[in-house]
Amino acid sequence: MPGITPTDLAPRLSRRAVLARATTLAAARALAPATFVGCSMGLPTKAPKVLVGLLHSQTGTTGGGGRSLRDVELHAFEQINKAGGILGRQVEILAPNAGSRPDRRIKLARRILDEGAVAIFGCWTSASRKSVLPVMEEAKRLLLYAVQYEGNESSPSCVYGGMVPNQQILPALDWLESPAGGARRRILLVGSDYVFPRTAHYVTRKYLAGRDLKVVGEFYRPLGDQDFSLVARMLEELEADCVLNTVNGDSNEGLFKALAEAGVDPDKTPVISTSIAEDELRSLPPEQVKGHYAVSCYFQSLATPANREWVAGFQEEFGHDRVTDDPMEPAWCLVHLWKQAVEKAGSFETEAVRQAFRAGLEFAGPGGTVRLDPKTQHTTKYCRIGRIRPDRQFTIEWESPEPIQPDPYPAFAFPGWKCDWTAEGITRGAEVSLDGDL
Amino acid sequence: MLPSPRQTRRPIPAAAVTSAAFGTDFLPVDTPPLSAAPQDWYWLYEIPPLRLAVLFIAAFVGFYWAGCIFLRPILRQFVKYTTGANDIVGYVLSCFGVFYGLLLGLIAVTAYQNVADAGANVTREAAALSALYEDVSNYPAPHGQNLRWLLRDYTRYVIKYAWPLQRRGVIPEEGTIRVDAVQEELLSFQPVTPAEQILHAEALRQFNHFLEARRLRLFSVTSGLPATMWYVMILGAVLNLAICWLFDMRFITQLMLGGILAAYLGTMMFLIFDMNQPFRGDVSISAEPFEVIYERMNED
Repeated sequence: MPGITPTDLAPRLSRRAVLARATTLAAARALAPATFVGCSMGLPTKAPKVLVGLLHSQTGTTGGGGRSLRDVELHAFEQINKAGGILGRQVEILAPNAGSRPDRRIKLARRILDEGAVAIFGCWTSASRKSVLPVMEEAKRLLLYAVQYEGNESSPSCVYGGMVPNQQILPALDWLESPAGGARRRILLVGSDYVFPRTAHYVTRKYLAGRDLKVVGEFYRPLGDQDFSLVARMLEELEADCVLNTVNGDSNEGLFKALAEAGVDPDKTPVISTSIAEDELRSLPPEQVKGHYAVSCYFQSLATPANREWVAGFQEEFGHDRVTDDPMEPAWCLVHLWKQAVEKAGSFETEAVRQAFRAGLEFAGPGGTVRLDPKTQHTTKYCRIGRIRPDRQFTIEWESPEPIQPDPYPAFAFPGWKCDWTAEGITRGAEVSLDGDL
Repeated sequence: MLPSPRQTRRPIPAAAVTSAAFGTDFLPVDTPPLSAAPQDWYWLYEIPPLRLAVLFIAAFVGFYWAGCIFLRPILRQFVKYTTGANDIVGYVLSCFGVFYGLLLGLIAVTAYQNVADAGANVTREAAALSALYEDVSNYPAPHGQNLRWLLRDYTRYVIKYAWPLQRRGVIPEEGTIRVDAVQEELLSFQPVTPAEQILHAEALRQFNHFLEARRLRLFSVTSGLPATMWYVMILGAVLNLAICWLFDMRFITQLMLGGILAAYLGTMMFLIFDMNQPFRGDVSISAEPFEVIYERMNED
């Protein structure tokens, strides 16, 4: 009896059956990539992302400034993404257009947060910031605000990257009163009619109480208005020898046109502006503004290697005739300070990021090193006064010897008020009326 | 008659719909659709073209071979005892092949025409943008400089942000913000001299050309063959291969000959699929016209 081998025990397969099995296997192998996407075809993997909102007006009366802030923030995030992102995540941007419309801003802020944005960089006017802040506080997310403002505010949901009056207006008033600034004695306050100019002028009046430099009058026009013909008459009638200009947006065109038509001489009656920078100068005829002043934390003409490199990088990306200016530099610094905080916290969670502020974050920006004060969530600032040149740039006439600490509640204007977000938060003082002592 | 590109537009993908909810002025930078649309099987476009072609061919040949193994024995029962079955099957296949070949040919031409039309629109938009840039360069300050910045910004946006979105089949409506800004600045200019009036009229004319071409570009982002047409094509391919299963011949020969037909059908399908979306796949429109004028703008 022939021996039984293991082969004999195996089921006999026909040639067709072998082919059928082989074909099935081959087909399965071929179709597997389509079925199990990414398993073997080297399909692109989706990099993890984090969403950030840029909420600026890109059209309308503050559209010019808003677009510049959007560009510099986009530039910062593009560079960050190129370098690997934040915590290994690529930053994805949502940048709607607030269109200089207050009703739109709140709606857009809500939509951005609903989309899952971890923070919003944005707003130009104080009115816009104040309208968006309740939304941010409710959602417990951070608003990073880059524009100089009036102070008298501190929110746990806001990081203020711009100057407050003690960093901008008060040093400018000191300078005007000093021999270097022409030893001015009578100042007229001109502003747009909204919260920043109203509060800034209130702080100015309080600061100058009992000083040699006196406030001789105040004048307001609605945002976007161009009719400033009365200002020239007021200057003459009130015998003012300088003007503090807190007019915002394209209304400045109307103001300087009116002053030029009235023949106001910048050597005799200089205007020192808080909201005019290189970007605004593009829309202002040089013959109308040259010789006047602006007070700011940054000017493009700042002759430091860091600034030259930053300006060159921005112009390389956006065009060689583009300018950089005050709100753009703080916006750049804010993006990097926020990145530092997130990395320090190891999380995008607002509370963890706020805790990271306590580490005393610093960033070497184009205008000098800025430090984030964890108590007020404001930044330290150099104060610089620049004189407008015919080439739409500034000659820096004066600079604070060192960065000035932020004080959103100067005691002389807001007695009893202070804030410390590392401790008890806001200590409320006496209620003040902004125009009570006019 | 085959549908025109406008008639064959697909519904706007989810991300674009989300953007529209913001008033068509949202800027998702390098963003994927926030929620995947059910019809979004476009991940296939992410696969390199050579691999995709192999995948199409493998799918068709695999399907044919699988049918040979599992369905052929059943189907052949219908013609097994018919005299001259192979001849009859051959006639049917020839007749069917003519109709199907015509359909595939016309669809391929339409798909190519879609790509060509979209490419022409892109060139028209870039040309109008360039002409507008030249026109506004002669505007007095500050309008001239403001407009140049805005147009440069728009061009940069198209290259850096709009194109990657288009390549994902998302309509980049967010450029509307930049167009609005240009329009706002353009209309704020009040020409004084007759020369300025002529210049302004010409700039407005170019701006309108630009708007028209831009809108056509955006429409063509989601243009493509409607789903019904794809179903008909796929059904045709399946029937084509099914008829081949009816042939009475050696198994290996059947695998070889039918496999060759299936491979070519897969290649045709790949070609149509690749051309179907003007901004996606290997046969797609690049941002080169915009890149050329952007370089020129920056030289200025």
